[in-house]
Amino acid sequence: MATEQSSESGVQGSSGIYGGAVRWLENLSETAFAYLLLTPAFLLLAVISFWPLASTFEMSLHADSLRGAQQLGEFVGLRNYVALLTGQLDTVALPQPFLDLSQPFKSALPVTIIFTVVAVFFETIIGFGQALVLDQDFRGRRWVRVAIIIPWAVPIVIQGMIFFLLFQPGIGFGVDVVEALGGSGTPLVNSAEALPIIILADVWKTTAFMALLILAGLQSVDRSLYDVAKVSGATKWQSFKMITFPLILPTVLVAMLFRTISSMRIYGLIETTSSCTTVPSLSCLVVSTFSTRRYGTAAAVAFVTAAIIAVVVSVYIVRFWQNSSDGSGI
Amino acid sequence: MNGGDTHTNTRRRSVTRRDFVKAAGASGAATALAGCTVGGSQAGSGAVRWVTDSTGADAADAIRTALYNAGLSKDIDLDVIAGPSQTGARQSQYTRWLSADLADPDIFMMDSGWALNFINRAQVLNLTENLPESTVNLVENEYFQAAVETARGGDGDLYAVPLFPDFPTMLYRKDLVKQAGYQPESENWATESMQWKKFSKVVADAKRQSNVNYGFGFQANIYEGLSCCDFNEFMTSWGGAYFGGRDTLFGPIGERPVTVAEQPVVDAVRMIRSFIYGSDAPNTLDGYEQISPRAVLSWTENPSLSPFTAGNMVALRNWPYAIPSSAEAFGEEKLGVMPIPYGVTAEKSQYENIGGPVAALGGWHNAVNPNSERMEDALAVVNTMTKPSFQRALVEATGWLPPNREVFTSDKVKQVPVTGNYIEQLRIAGENAIPRPVTVVWPQESTKIAQLVHAGLSGDSPPKQAMNTLKDQLTAIEEFNAQ
Repeated sequence: MATEQSSESGVQGSSGIYGGAVRWLENLSETAFAYLLLTPAFLLLAVISFWPLASTFEMSLHADSLRGAQQLGEFVGLRNYVALLTGQLDTVALPQPFLDLSQPFKSALPVTIIFTVVAVFFETIIGFGQALVLDQDFRGRRWVRVAIIIPWAVPIVIQGMIFFLLFQPGIGFGVDVVEALGGSGTPLVNSAEALPIIILADVWKTTAFMALLILAGLQSVDRSLYDVAKVSGATKWQSFKMITFPLILPTVLVAMLFRTISSMRIYGLIETTSSCTTVPSLSCLVVSTFSTRRYGTAAAVAFVTAAIIAVVVSVYIVRFWQNSSDGSGI
Repeated sequence: MNGGDTHTNTRRRSVTRRDFVKAAGASGAATALAGCTVGGSQAGSGAVRWVTDSTGADAADAIRTALYNAGLSKDIDLDVIAGPSQTGARQSQYTRWLSADLADPDIFMMDSGWALNFINRAQVLNLTENLPESTVNLVENEYFQAAVETARGGDGDLYAVPLFPDFPTMLYRKDLVKQAGYQPESENWATESMQWKKFSKVVADAKRQSNVNYGFGFQANIYEGLSCCDFNEFMTSWGGAYFGGRDTLFGPIGERPVTVAEQPVVDAVRMIRSFIYGSDAPNTLDGYEQISPRAVLSWTENPSLSPFTAGNMVALRNWPYAIPSSAEAFGEEKLGVMPIPYGVTAEKSQYENIGGPVAALGGWHNAVNPNSERMEDALAVVNTMTKPSFQRALVEATGWLPPNREVFTSDKVKQVPVTGNYIEQLRIAGENAIPRPVTVVWPQESTKIAQLVHAGLSGDSPPKQAMNTLKDQLTAIEEFNAQ
């Protein structure tokens, strides 16, 4: 001990920045030291999360520069936002009736909302069902799990190509199905038909994600509760309603939150299956605006998209955070 | 026990914190060193760097040899780099490089469809001022004029030099039309364009008398190809125009008329609807046969080529690359190539040089990076690429057609396998080529055109209404970005 003290005092006694830093570190409380160690992570988070957002906002306050070599035009304040939300910035008419709105933002917003609500709804319902099945003991359960997970493992580009070929005239049998339902012979270039196909593709792939998360929740439920319920004479439905559902609701909500955020950013699946010109989502609008070198406008659309996602996340959290203390919230 | 724990904790904590400081210092030093190494490296090897595509990169050795044989100093080395394969991705890549004022690469191969965007933004070198006068004169006088038009700036100077042009033609099954009683050779189909009405009858007859599933294939998906090329051809062949003729193709934005709602343009839409749905369907033209599958509404180039090369289609509108693959698929004796048909003659159009047979202009130019540190060598390379001997060698090495009209029809080019046999049809297409109306707002306008023309073709909107809406959209874009 004495030797160690002597050795340490050798360092502590040394002057200079290094010795001072060591002495300062050793005098910190455990809590302060923990925060100190976390500081780089916080800084990194700030840099990678908030700096791009702030930079995007700053870009969105400038006019587009289509002619000059410079990327941004003069400072215009909130003009891009006013123009975007009032439809003055750019006028676009999409041909199909349910998207026959006068501005791209007004088309992209309902497309994104419809996609998100419908896809997350079906993914949750089907994923829940799959999880309940997988939670049972039966022969071949592992193989069924693999079968469910495989679509999730398929890369988005491959998935897009699968559905592209499935609904490509002259190649895929999906076209006949659409025609039998009264649709056109070219569903992937018809917005009203392409959107349900993209939702179908997303549900096919992502339901496994929901199923796995919900299954994890199901398997954390204390099995003795079911024994007690059985002894008490509860039916299977009553066991599900009174035990299973309340206990896995937090897990389901977390899974829905993840899927909602992901669905609101949908881009790759649309572009590879039908293209953004047929089914324009908010992310499609950001990319297409950016690719026409309208950086100020693209930044405004991107910032508004991020804000909408933030609002949705906040609603989830605020709505369910209060219930977290009793185990039923996020 | 407790004391022991405290001692252990204290010791572990002090050592851990000291180690942490040491490790952090060492990591920082290592990172700084790494940063110095990477940041300090220099890529330049002294060679001129030319960014092209995979075809060019694969033929790099042959290209270098051809350049030296054409007189380029052997002191000048050339690196040939393959850029992104998709033209849009390549444009984005160039935008990032040139917007950042990078000195490398030195020469860019640019799509004739978007080279003007870089020229208008003053991001490429003025070649009229930097190439020898004889070279500038050669390009201005001997090259296909439609290609040269897309390489000029607003001041009339050349800012790029065409490397190779690309023109679509009508490929057809000669055996099937002969079987249907037509005589392509004696009627000179290879050089004398026919009207769309006759064409639809020929295709319908050939389809009826054979066992092929498809009549006429083209590309009408909602994409740049519809607005720049397929519909541009249909519309122009009817005497219509996007912005009132050829003189206003490249501006001035906001001051040129938007003419997409005029009758010739609407008639072009109605004619295509007749091809797809038959003349009994609403909003079609009488006298035109139903010859195209509805699948054309979702086809781009390659999906439309597959049934043709599979021997399952009578006629196909496509680019020169489809000629060798089709000949390889079902034999050169069965493959006919002719200029794209027309709706009305040029005399019947109210615009000059609009109407009659027409082919959309494709192809690529070379532009020089104004920040290049090897400017002299880069200009020497571009200059040598205008030599006829180099262009003849380039056809053999890459299959790229020469931009010089004289070289285009030279004996050596005629001897190039397959494509050389159809060089006259390609020359006629080149003489009748029409560029897309590229300006800084074309990317926005192109999307609207593709969406609304497609709506008119598919029946989602009546053609007249679709074209009126398109006129409103284009007018709004023009006025918003008026020069």
